[in-house]
Amino acid sequence: MGVGPLSRVTPPAVTQEDVVITHEDVDRAHDRVRVSAARAQRGVFSRFRLLWLLFGPGILVMLGENDGPSMLSYAATGARFGSGFFIPFVVLTFCMAIVVQEMTMRLGSATHRGHAELIFDRFGPFWGWFSMIDLGIGNFLTLITEFIAIRAGLGFFGVPPWAAVVTALMFLCLAVITHRYWTWERTLLAIAVFNLVFVPVALLTHPNWYSVGRALITWKPLPGGLSQDTLIIVLADIGATVTPWMLFFQQSATVDKGLTRKDIHLGRIDTVVGAALAATAAVATIVATAPLFSHHMTAENFQAAEFAQALQPLIGRFGAALFALGIVEAGMVASVTISISSAYAFGEVARTPHSLNLPMAEGRAFYSVLFLCATIAGAIVLIPGLPLVYVVLLVNVVAVLAMPPALVFLFMLANDREVVGDLVSPRWANILATSVVVFLTLAGVLFGISVIAPNIFAFLGGK
Amino acid sequence: MPSKDKGHSSITSSDQELVLSSLEPEQLAGLKKHPVPRRHLRGLEKFVVWSLRIYLLFMMAVVIYEVWTSLH
Repeated sequence: MGVGPLSRVTPPAVTQEDVVITHEDVDRAHDRVRVSAARAQRGVFSRFRLLWLLFGPGILVMLGENDGPSMLSYAATGARFGSGFFIPFVVLTFCMAIVVQEMTMRLGSATHRGHAELIFDRFGPFWGWFSMIDLGIGNFLTLITEFIAIRAGLGFFGVPPWAAVVTALMFLCLAVITHRYWTWERTLLAIAVFNLVFVPVALLTHPNWYSVGRALITWKPLPGGLSQDTLIIVLADIGATVTPWMLFFQQSATVDKGLTRKDIHLGRIDTVVGAALAATAAVATIVATAPLFSHHMTAENFQAAEFAQALQPLIGRFGAALFALGIVEAGMVASVTISISSAYAFGEVARTPHSLNLPMAEGRAFYSVLFLCATIAGAIVLIPGLPLVYVVLLVNVVAVLAMPPALVFLFMLANDREVVGDLVSPRWANILATSVVVFLTLAGVLFGISVIAPNIFAFLGGK
Repeated sequence: MPSKDKGHSSITSSDQELVLSSLEPEQLAGLKKHPVPRRHLRGLEKFVVWSLRIYLLFMMAVVIYEVWTSLH
C-alpha cells in the first residue's frame, strides 16, 4: 500500500489486526481494482477506460454549479445586456473556477480527507466553526433557490408547487438509494449532462454568431455602462460559477471516489472538461435569452418561469419547454450535490461515517442531514408570500462575499507541505489563486460601495 | 482475525484482503479518526484571515441593508 504525507499521523504499516474494515472500504476497493486494471493495460481503449473510471467529481461540481439561480443569472444577463461583455466575462469566471477547484481535487487526492475535516484539524475549531457557519448558511440558502427553480420550471408545465417539491425530494431519495458512490455518480452525471439542453435552445433562437464571436474578442458592448444593476449582474455571474459549497463538495467527492496521487493528472482533466461543459451551457443560456434584450427581463421574472414563456414566441412551445426542463434539471442536480456537500461536511466535523458507499444502517447521521436539509428547504419554498426573488438574488451575492475567506484556507492548505507533501501549489498557481481572491474581494467592495453610495457610479461617469 | 464489529459482520476475509491490497492506509475509514496535526497561524496569515472575516461580516450587514431597503 502506498503512503502519503499524512502517514505521520497513521500507523506506517497497516495490518489486518489494526483496522476495522467497513463496507465503505470494500466498495471503494472494488472501484480501485478496476482503476488499477485499466492503468496496467496499454492502448487507446484502456486510456479512455481509465478516463471514464476517474471522471466524475470535476464534471459534477461544475455542472452542479450551473444550478437554478446560476441559470437565472445567465438568463437575466442575456435578457438585460444581450450578447456582449458578459460572454467573455462568464468564460473568465469558469477559468477562475478551474484554478480553485484544481486545488481541492489535489488536496483530496493527496490527503484522503475532506475540506471541513482539514480546516478543523489543521487550524482548530475556532476557524473551523466559522467556515462551517459560512458553508451551512450558504448551502441552505442555495438549496432553497434550487427548489424555487424546480418549482418554477415544473410550473411551466402546470405542476403545482407542492407536487414539484415532492418530486424533487423523491429524486433526491432515488439518487442515493443504491448506497454506492459509483452508481450515484454515474446516474447524476447522466442527468447533469442534460444541462447542455440550453445549447439547442440557443440554436433555436438563430443567434448572430458574428456578434457572439466579436464579443468574445472585444468584451463589448456593455449596454448602460457601469451601474449598480451591472454590478449586481457581475456579482451574480461570479457567484454562479465560484461558491464555497464547490470547494467542500469536490474535495469530499474526490475522497469518497478514492482518487490518489497517481490520479491527479486525470482529475485535472476532469475539472477542465467539467468547466468547459458548464461554460458552454452558461454562454448558450446568455445567447438564448439575448433576443429578449429589448424586453427588460429581470430576476423578478423568474418566479413564474417567465423566461421560458417569453422565449416561446421566438423558439416555439418545444424550445420553451426545453428551457423550462433545463431549469428543472439545474435545480434537481444541484439540490442533490448541495445536500450531499452539507452531509459530507457534517460527517467530517462530527467524525461520523460520511460516504455514499455507506449502507443506511451505518450512515444514519449522514443520510439524515442530507434529507433534513432538503426537506426543510423544500418546505420553505411552499410558504405563501415568501419573497423568493430576494432569496434568489441574495444567494449568489452571499456566495461571492463568502468566497475570499474560504479561499484563503484552501490556499494555505494547498501550500502546506506537511499536508500535501511535494504537491504544494506551484508559484504560477499561487499567483492565479491570489488574483482570484483579490478580484472577488474587490467585486464585493464595489458592491458594498454601490449600496452605501448609490450615486457613486453616476459621479464617476457611469449611469 | 481482523477487527469486525456488528455492522460489518458480512465482510469476508477476501474482502479484507482486497481492501488492504488496493487502498492506501489513509483511505481506510477506520484510520481517519486520527486527526491531522494542528498548526498555528503566523502573523501575516492571522492578519489576512481576520481581515477577511471582518470584511465578510461587514458585507453581510450591507446585504441585509440592501434587502431591507428593497423590500420597503
